[in-house]
Amino acid sequence: MRKKETVAMLLAGGQGSRLGSLTRRIAKPAVSFGGKYRIIDFSLSNCVNSKIDTVGVLTQYKPLLLNSYIGIGTAWDLDDVYGGVHILPPFMGEGGGNWYKGTANAIYHNMDFISYYNPEYVLIISGDHIYQMDYSLMLDFHKKNGADLTISVIEVPWEETSRFGIMTCDSNGRIIKFREKPQAADSNLASMGIYIFDWPILEQALLEDEANPQSDHDFGKNVIPMLLNQGKKLYAYRFRGYWKDVGTIDSYYEANMDLLSRKPQLDLYDSNLRIFSNSDELAPHYVGPNAKITNALISNGCIVMGEVNHSILAPGVIVGEGAKVIDSIVLPNAVISDGACIYSAIVGENLEVPPGSSFGLDHGAKLTQRVITVVDDNLLAKEGGPQEALA
Amino acid sequence: MGNVIGIIASGCPSGLMMGLIRERPIAALPFGGRYRLLDFPLSNMVNSGLRTVGIITPFHYRPVLDHLGAGKEWLLDRKTGGLFILPSSNREKAGGKFPLADLAGNLDFFHKDRAEHVIISCSNLVINLDFRPVLDFHQNQKADVTLIYHADGFAGEAGEALFLAPDHSGQVQEFNTGLTSGNGKVFLDMLVIKKDILLELLEGNAGEEDRELLGVIAAKVGQIRVFAYPFSGYVGRISSVVDYFKCNMDLLKPEIRRELFMESNKIHTKIADNPPTLYGHNALSSNSLVASGCKIDGTVENSIIFRQVQIKPGAVVKNSIVMQKCIIGRNVVLENVILDKFVRIKDHTVLQGHFDKPVVIEKTTGWGGE
Repeated sequence: MRKKETVAMLLAGGQGSRLGSLTRRIAKPAVSFGGKYRIIDFSLSNCVNSKIDTVGVLTQYKPLLLNSYIGIGTAWDLDDVYGGVHILPPFMGEGGGNWYKGTANAIYHNMDFISYYNPEYVLIISGDHIYQMDYSLMLDFHKKNGADLTISVIEVPWEETSRFGIMTCDSNGRIIKFREKPQAADSNLASMGIYIFDWPILEQALLEDEANPQSDHDFGKNVIPMLLNQGKKLYAYRFRGYWKDVGTIDSYYEANMDLLSRKPQLDLYDSNLRIFSNSDELAPHYVGPNAKITNALISNGCIVMGEVNHSILAPGVIVGEGAKVIDSIVLPNAVISDGACIYSAIVGENLEVPPGSSFGLDHGAKLTQRVITVVDDNLLAKEGGPQEALA
Repeated sequence: MGNVIGIIASGCPSGLMMGLIRERPIAALPFGGRYRLLDFPLSNMVNSGLRTVGIITPFHYRPVLDHLGAGKEWLLDRKTGGLFILPSSNREKAGGKFPLADLAGNLDFFHKDRAEHVIISCSNLVINLDFRPVLDFHQNQKADVTLIYHADGFAGEAGEALFLAPDHSGQVQEFNTGLTSGNGKVFLDMLVIKKDILLELLEGNAGEEDRELLGVIAAKVGQIRVFAYPFSGYVGRISSVVDYFKCNMDLLKPEIRRELFMESNKIHTKIADNPPTLYGHNALSSNSLVASGCKIDGTVENSIIFRQVQIKPGAVVKNSIVMQKCIIGRNVVLENVILDKFVRIKDHTVLQGHFDKPVVIEKTTGWGGE
């Protein structure tokens, strides 16, 4: 086997329970985003744009759609004979089998995969972040410092430091302190959950962590503090760009809507950092005679007969005559029937919103706090379901 | 459909396409926002189960190769069969849709495969046709040749077509390859032929490669079984700029769009991985087909907008076709215009054509360039 300089391990097994019904049937990385994308497209495309051609995708929670979406990686040019994308689910061994217990444990179980490529560096990333990043710049930084582990960090507002893993660095960028979700932080550099390890260091650390019965086998909680205590060389790489963890309904909604701002920080139209996706072959979208579309992202295969403002339509969405979609995100193949109104809502995949029904809050009246309604089949059955619409 | 292979002629002997086919064979002509005309015959063949298709490529083949690659999007990157790029004879004299020289020059393609039948198609038709019923008909009738016609065809703006007169069983007793104008059973430049018969015809006419396949079939019609198969769905025949313009505009009709793009047989095309189209605060669009990757902040009406087009605030695009990566400046007015790829229109420019005579701005002219 050809030796690889870097192998990427993409953690895609999380349930994403805080995304509620969006992840009831599918894993978080497979959730639709920004119209035509799924969340995992960003990490996979970043790998490809950084010339990393060997990616292990660790799956666990409801992987059917995720697996079929990734396939053999063709959509990202990851169908490579020497490397490419590998789906790595939990498996049985001589001593029985186990689910992945934590992020570090998931990698521990796949050390054979990494050894197979015998890389110098292992890049660990997560499949639920929205960002465009060239990891090769981070790797250059890692090499230049002769680091054992480099962690990518981003400046966050001081008042939000208690939500993140916070790094405190010396003037050279070497990490001297790491605190998980500190109440009083002395730095505002938050870990982005992106790690570059020297492979021998990672291997040793995983073995030690696995042997520790007190450990939760989590990188942030256990492995990084352990390495810091051992006096290993940990560096923080400052990323200056757009990065968002879309772990909650609010942050998912915000990250989508950020694409509609006057000058979006995340540039989907940047030809150097293209985001690839595995998309269905659909005709261009059709805009009807009475349609009104402003400040919106519209994907292929959509048919818009009504009004769409400050919203994102995923592929194959239909907006009927007289229907209104305002401040909303409509996921793939959903139908907003004639006369239906959707305000500040996320409409789930394949749902059919009945004619004339109305969901979400109309922000005509100014609200201080935005409330996002997630329209799923439960909500449809409750309010204005098909029976009610017929009656 | 392991026993059928396909062959597509990507040229088109038409003088009425003006600049649109100066630097490209008609097969590579962009159409309907994200397609090229070649996508229609190719997808029809693939959707009918064919996995071996040869494309006869004339002189300007670069855009054809660029579009097809290894044929991945059409499932033609096969170990067995797959996509074959076949050189054209490029003979000036060889007229007609299917010059014998093009077929005779690629005998290996036919010999190599064990297929019994060959589907031959031109590439200036916008049509979603399943060849499987045609092949059933062809085999049930024990036909040597089956010509596909439109039951109620229109000769097109170019005015000329080959009309067929099959008998009640569908057999064609005689036909004249001369083109005439009018309405009736218009031959759609697609046929199924037994491979043995095709090879016999090619052999029998060795040295006469300037002849055309249909003429050779017509001359043999007493000795071989020639049948005609009716197609009754939508057909756009493109042999002039006006045909091209009107056929694009047909896509604004929901029933035609449904038949072409929304049935189970999809039209496959090269994937470009563009982001969705972004509409700005000033956008005003109606009755239009808009592809991905565009940034629209002006007015668009009754138009076909291809991928990655930018329309600036104040611009008005009406009854027009705007191909890939065009940039329409502020306060521009376009009406009944066809913009080929990469055209930039300067701010405040006004360009108006007539519905029956649209203005064509060619790809290479750089007209109004910034």
